[in-house]
Amino acid sequence: MKAFVLAGAAAAACWAQSFMYRGFLDTRVFLYPETAVNDSGRAVGEALLRWEPAWRAAPWLRWNASLDVRFDTHRQVEREARLDWGDRGLRRPAVSVRRLSAVMNRGPLTLEVGKQFIRWGKADILNPTDRFAPRDFLSVVTNDFLAVPAARATMEFGRDTFDLVWQPRFTPSRAPLLSQRWTVLPEAVNALALRDAGARHPGGSQFGGRWNHFWRGGEFSVSYFDGRNHLPQFDIWTGSQLLPVGFQRYFPRLRQYGADAAAPLRWFTVKAEAAYFTAPDQQADSFFQGVIQLERQSGEWNFVGGYAGERTTARRSRVQFAPDRGLTKAFLGRAGYTIDVNRSFAVEFAVRRNGDGAWVRTEYSQAFGQHWRATGGFTWIAGNAGDFLGQYRRNSHISLGLRYSF
Amino acid sequence: MNRLAWLWIGWAAAVQAQDARQIMEECQRRSRANSQRYEGSLKVIDARGRTSEKRWRYERLGSAGNSKAVIRFTAPAEVKGVALLVHNHPDRVSDQWMWRPAIARDQRVAVQDRGTRFFGTDFTFEDLEERDVDQYEYRLLGSETLEGEECWKIESRPKRSKSSQYTHSHVWVRKRNYTFAQIENFKRQGLVRRLRYRDMALVQGIWTARTLEMHDLERNSRTILYLEKLEYNVALSEDRFTLQALRRES
Repeated sequence: MKAFVLAGAAAAACWAQSFMYRGFLDTRVFLYPETAVNDSGRAVGEALLRWEPAWRAAPWLRWNASLDVRFDTHRQVEREARLDWGDRGLRRPAVSVRRLSAVMNRGPLTLEVGKQFIRWGKADILNPTDRFAPRDFLSVVTNDFLAVPAARATMEFGRDTFDLVWQPRFTPSRAPLLSQRWTVLPEAVNALALRDAGARHPGGSQFGGRWNHFWRGGEFSVSYFDGRNHLPQFDIWTGSQLLPVGFQRYFPRLRQYGADAAAPLRWFTVKAEAAYFTAPDQQADSFFQGVIQLERQSGEWNFVGGYAGERTTARRSRVQFAPDRGLTKAFLGRAGYTIDVNRSFAVEFAVRRNGDGAWVRTEYSQAFGQHWRATGGFTWIAGNAGDFLGQYRRNSHISLGLRYSF
Repeated sequence: MNRLAWLWIGWAAAVQAQDARQIMEECQRRSRANSQRYEGSLKVIDARGRTSEKRWRYERLGSAGNSKAVIRFTAPAEVKGVALLVHNHPDRVSDQWMWRPAIARDQRVAVQDRGTRFFGTDFTFEDLEERDVDQYEYRLLGSETLEGEECWKIESRPKRSKSSQYTHSHVWVRKRNYTFAQIENFKRQGLVRRLRYRDMALVQGIWTARTLEMHDLERNSRTILYLEKLEYNVALSEDRFTLQALRRES
């Protein structure tokens, strides 16, 4: 009996050492001074409970999970109480498995299988090569990454790392909802009865590979991706007396050839990332996208500034939602200041080269004790209706957040 | 006669420099360990007396400026999982990468200014780097008693090849066991930071300060770092100090 108790205590101690978690309860309010054509709401409240447990089952095996429970006041979150795994819905799921993966490691090989986050690229503001990273764009300028179901093998040999990814099931980015302010419709269209026919999710798998090398002066990568664009294009049909005007999201094929590099120099760290995209099924544009940025820390300040460019070589897309392309031909930057161990201030911006659109976000953040953090910010958007950023000019807003981390 | 006096002064200075360097070499020799692991508990006390706390787990492989280190934050809850990977090189600034779980990606950290404070504490990135004896020139300033212990007081100046935020430092070395008692760091405007080494303990044959207190005299704030569960010469493999390890463990 004593042996059982001792064995149980030892097992519990081992479990406690190998099991860890983190999480938070985040509540946030967005206040919009202006209403939008399709959205009269001026206040949106959101609450998110995230729990991220991890268990090291063996020295070579670690399980990672993340569970989300959400609620909001603006129907961006589903109201059904079901456990979502796929993250394919138009709205955010109320209860979801955000991540569930096993990470295995043996010698130079790391294998991660399951729903996971895969991030490529070295730039900080815009990542053209980050192809396995769909996002939730329900409110376009405040977005979060979505995990993808995949198998990822990474081999590390000294200064070289090889990354191979196979994604058997497609995960799309979540585009803004038709009835909400982040879908901007012309007045004339808004008067019509619009039918949202959802999305056509493609079958088949996607894959990609990346080679990263670092040397004395910096590091670079080259990457390849063959799959689908996680950002949607739209099939639109015009209405008749019987059928209203409608649209459906679809996700064209995409092939990407990319490269990125980072080099710390005497005065700045230079980071650059570029990719060329082609459409094997001829349903989307072929284009080049690149970003170059300079970064420097100086005392309590951190500066990142750069330019994102794009050149379309074949134009085929008609109607699409492409926030990544919407941030190109623009100057991008971010500055952060650490006031003290508890307080910080940050400002981020994107200004289109032609001046047609601009977005600036400022944020002040303060921690209280070991668990609480309050955040207040203001996002200002301006520009012309025809510009990707400018179209959201009625969506400038104040955000207030309170987070309890555990 | 005049020439002889200059020769004597030159010889005396050379001997002093040699002595100071020998003392610093002995410090480095006695504290050398192929690897190190500890759990750090950090308390920051600002000029108004407000305190905040952080905890991390630290692992290092290698020594004397040619090493790799990982710092993983364990508290407060909001930074749990944030990790910093540092590859120190004897002849140039270190390579550093930060892992933030919120964005699930490593980011190369710009380290042009190593005077940047480390996560809002009074330690700068440079203060947390190991000091390699070959990167400085030394001069013995004399002997002083500090907190009841007889110490050598040594001036250290970074060599031209070594980029540093400090113009020079004064280092107090305990004569009893060749350990640092205090370092005062100077910039052009004068003394800016004072680091005290306290709670000396013999850990696996190495005299180690288990409490480090950094006082930023410009901001009048203090950071106290307590080293817990300290171990030297731990079996740590190279693959714990890679970008993949940052991803795997966070």
